[in-house]
Amino acid sequence: MSTVQARGCPVHQGRDDRKSARLADANLAPAENARVVGSFAAGREILRSSKVRQAGAGAEMVDLSRPDEISFFFLDGDQHRKRRAAVAGLFAPKTIVTRHRAVMDRTMDSIIASLQERGAAPLDELSWQMAVDVAAEIIGLTESDSNVNLAKRVRAVLDSSVSHNPSMLKKLLFRALMMIRVGRFWKHDLLPVIEARRKEPKDDVISYMVKENYSRKGMIMEALSYGGAGMMTTREFIVMAAWHLFEKPALRERFLSGDEEDQFAILEEILRLEPVASLLHRRAVEKTDSTTRGGAMAEDETVCISIRDANVDEAITGPCPFELDPDRAKRMKVVGPYMSFGDGPHRCPGAQVALHETRVFLDRLLRLPGIRLEAEPDILWNPQIQGYELRGAVVACDQG
Amino acid sequence: MVAIRFIAADGSEQTIDATCGISLMENAIANGIEGIVALCGGNAYCGTCRVHVEPDWRAVTGLVTEMEEPMIEASGDTHPGVRLSCQIEVSPALEGLVVRTPESQE
Repeated sequence: MSTVQARGCPVHQGRDDRKSARLADANLAPAENARVVGSFAAGREILRSSKVRQAGAGAEMVDLSRPDEISFFFLDGDQHRKRRAAVAGLFAPKTIVTRHRAVMDRTMDSIIASLQERGAAPLDELSWQMAVDVAAEIIGLTESDSNVNLAKRVRAVLDSSVSHNPSMLKKLLFRALMMIRVGRFWKHDLLPVIEARRKEPKDDVISYMVKENYSRKGMIMEALSYGGAGMMTTREFIVMAAWHLFEKPALRERFLSGDEEDQFAILEEILRLEPVASLLHRRAVEKTDSTTRGGAMAEDETVCISIRDANVDEAITGPCPFELDPDRAKRMKVVGPYMSFGDGPHRCPGAQVALHETRVFLDRLLRLPGIRLEAEPDILWNPQIQGYELRGAVVACDQG
Repeated sequence: MVAIRFIAADGSEQTIDATCGISLMENAIANGIEGIVALCGGNAYCGTCRVHVEPDWRAVTGLVTEMEEPMIEASGDTHPGVRLSCQIEVSPALEGLVVRTPESQE
């Protein structure tokens, strides 16, 4: 059991239910010279300011003079708003219920059938299948030879998207490897869809890019941004939420007997404690004023907003911030995931999709006869996304 | 503080003392207006804080902004007075404002 007495809540005898906090504390690496902001109010004010721009995650190396060749992730202002607005409907709650829910149910049918036949399976393999199927449908990556191969190719690109080795030879080798991997993604996944959508547009991200005549590079960047975010982060969160629910019988019982609203409240509270992304960087293009302590920025200053700190800021969580308390958000009259999906114009577009697919996945999985967690996951750190990865968890159920 | 009246789809009413300088959505959540969900916390990215502004007040609250359009369109809400309450900042000019909440925020 990883539940320990909290170090920060002696008055209320609170627990620390976080599983990823210690690893994060040991590994989090804010950008050099960035001022770390841990206050929820200050962080939110900065993220919502029109005077800040994306920083970190390679943003400084992006050529903003060619917006048609870069991902929406690195854009700001009107350019960013236009791109987000064009596909915003794909992530709307109504679209999730009326369209994406069917994909989630279909994928879960397949996952459950396979698990019951095998008797046991790695949990992150199952959550990966869910995350990939849903993301592929929304983006429009529907013409690949298989979603398993699609996921492998996306992951291959994203896993090697940052070169850490400074030597010239290594850099050249890295670039060559990246070109090969991106080329495979283009040939096997993106190009077939582009050709299909030119003939028959659909309601997905790629159809929009085809309609707007995106360049080849622009399409690759955009598809990988949506794909990477949708697939890699949701995969981890599903496993984390499952881990908490397997470990806490009362919470699991509440999850299974609750309505959807209560199930979301439980998942959002887990996500508050275990955000998959931990840091957000912003640079001020001009001096910003602030009504919150720490929220003002000098021109050209870079800040690092700590999602983990903001999510346990007692000013907004109330007492015992490290305790898993699904009633907290309602009691405090705040949005359940707190800062876990970011805030402001760059708030995660797929936030609701991720929560829905996690809810569907766990609701089905945890009702399986004989379902149990045979092996807990190892918790690892991914320096690229500054977030945790959970590997090695095995779930088992009655065969039949 | 300004008085704002919320009328739910079933006809029940609640008048709140709203704080100026923050959004109508934040005021609604702080005062327990059940018809406002606001999944995204006020970023105009979910369309679940929709209100229908009464005709007499539409000139004061203003028209749907570019930020609001995509999510309102995706919600299928075609009411002529529809706005996202997270994009309406409460000010003294809104004293006495009357808004209705839709039957569902999905």
